[in-house]
Amino acid sequence: MIETLLEPFAYEYMLRAIWVSALVGSVCAFLSCYLILKGWSLIGDALSHSIVPGVALAYILSLPYSLGAFFAGFIAAGSMVWIKKETRLKEDAIIGLVFTTFFAIGLLMFSINPIAVNIQAIILGNLLTISHQESVQILIISIICTLILIFNWKNFLAVFFDERHAKSIGIETTFYKILFFTLLSAATVAALQTVGACLVIAMVITPGATAYLLSDRFGKMISLSIVIGSISNALGTYLSFYMDANSGGLIVCIQTVLFITAFIFAPKHGMLKHRKKEVIHG
Amino acid sequence: MIKIDNVGFAYPNGQHALEGINAQVASGKICGLVGMNGAGKSTLFKLLTAHIKSKTGRIEIKGSSVKKALQQNLISYVPQSDEVDWDFPVLVKDVVMMGRYGHMGFMRRASKTDHEAVDNALERVNLIAFKDRQIGELSGGQKKRVFVARALAQGSEIILLDEPFTGIDIKTEDALIALFKALAAEGKLILVSTHNLGSVPSFCDEVMLINKTLLAHGPVETTFTQENLSKAFGGMLRHHHLVGDDLHDDEDARTLTVLSDDERPLVFYGEQGGQKITQPGNKDD
Ligand SMILES: Nc1ncnc2c1ncn2[C@@H]1O[C@H](COP(=O)(O)OP(=O)(O)OP(=O)(O)O)[C@@H](O)[C@H]1O
Ligand SMILES: [Mg+2]
Repeated sequence: MIETLLEPFAYEYMLRAIWVSALVGSVCAFLSCYLILKGWSLIGDALSHSIVPGVALAYILSLPYSLGAFFAGFIAAGSMVWIKKETRLKEDAIIGLVFTTFFAIGLLMFSINPIAVNIQAIILGNLLTISHQESVQILIISIICTLILIFNWKNFLAVFFDERHAKSIGIETTFYKILFFTLLSAATVAALQTVGACLVIAMVITPGATAYLLSDRFGKMISLSIVIGSISNALGTYLSFYMDANSGGLIVCIQTVLFITAFIFAPKHGMLKHRKKEVIHG
Repeated sequence: MIKIDNVGFAYPNGQHALEGINAQVASGKICGLVGMNGAGKSTLFKLLTAHIKSKTGRIEIKGSSVKKALQQNLISYVPQSDEVDWDFPVLVKDVVMMGRYGHMGFMRRASKTDHEAVDNALERVNLIAFKDRQIGELSGGQKKRVFVARALAQGSEIILLDEPFTGIDIKTEDALIALFKALAAEGKLILVSTHNLGSVPSFCDEVMLINKTLLAHGPVETTFTQENLSKAFGGMLRHHHLVGDDLHDDEDARTLTVLSDDERPLVFYGEQGGQKITQPGNKDD
């Protein structure tokens, strides 16, 4: 029995996949806490599509794909923040506008310049076949992002909660916004390699949304979100070994199960609690 | 301490909100900012918090620019309308603690002094019992006081308040006024915009009347007159004028004038009107 349970750890590729996904999951979970509160939830989806022209360009210039992806993502995020600042458009409209543009440019580039990039791998991720070099890259990205977030989470909170006040106490709000979206682009690129474009969006929403139901304090919400993100990612990868299933799909299903549990049973904001209150108040 | 020198501002839509403002306010004073809707009061606050930058002129705070003053934690600001998201997972004490960020180091770790300042500020606005509430779970008036507490915790020398009395009951208003007076006595400069004309004489040392330009600025006794107010509001005030004949059957020529912009009316009683300013007691409200 125990032998069967430990079996995945005997394979180097499984071991690597598990820690890489846990790491990526925790960084995305950290970021998700801010995104869900500011109406930027769908930005993960947007960024994962916006990187396509970057990948195409990197291919043409024979640079690493992740570099192209990162820069395209960064430019996309930057233009969204900029448009938001200059117009009264709502976040969802801006996200839709920018990502379809980037995606269309990417498609055009690929159609003019047919290449051998495995689009399938970009869309679905390749967690189980990730190379040693890629995993080191992800490790570095994750550590840098996590350190920056840990040192600055209160500044980011101040900027996102009340930008005008943040500015009035001398916090450079524009700098922090650019920094935040740089981290997000980096994390998205890392997440793309593991769970793939389709599921990046879940990783930057669901853990934060679940944690939000469980806590009224931002610091606690972040910790909970990280725990949810890393455990569900590790567990999903681990289970995919037995089920011979797509790990990304499993990961997101686990996150959703956790969300539903919180949705029903959360001590203060859960459905059962609300029911009870209604009964008491007639 | 605040020196405003020929400052003007136009919004991108071409709206000239302020023009040629010259004024100087010293510390230890409460200065009322009075003018009708759209007169430019909030715009002036935006300039003083570097939210927007003036096109002309210069604002000096303790001899340095607004930006520098903000970095030195000299200015705190209490917003007019709620510009924040009440669903944010932050407690009352967390919001007030954000006022302390300017005093903290790089990681914004709160020290004992910071916690004490937060408790002290909440005590002063009478919200200490609500310390651990999520901010969305407060009433409108309580929400306002959270932001006053944040400004107090910040401990800056200049406190800007944009219409702190709207939506607040008389008891709380009086408590806030007592608080402002205490702060001014501690040497702080308080700039407060309000539509409660009746309260102005009871707590302001000086008053600025604006309508795009600065119409009048000076001590309440000499500046907050019927004549100046008529200029500032240009017939927009609810105006009740009772002359001697209406008031009594003798030779007394004194007239009674009641001016009201919004909440507390302002009462002038005297021979020409505008000589004497009286503050109606709370029982009248
Ligand atoms: N963001 C903006 N863009 C364009 N014009 C603006 C903007 N904000 C205010 N204005 C205009 O600038 C003028 C001054 O507005 P401001 O908000 O400073 O008035 P106020 O004195 O605070 O009024 P109130 O008593 O209603 O709060 C008004 O004519 C207003 O229409
Ligand atoms: Mg205003």
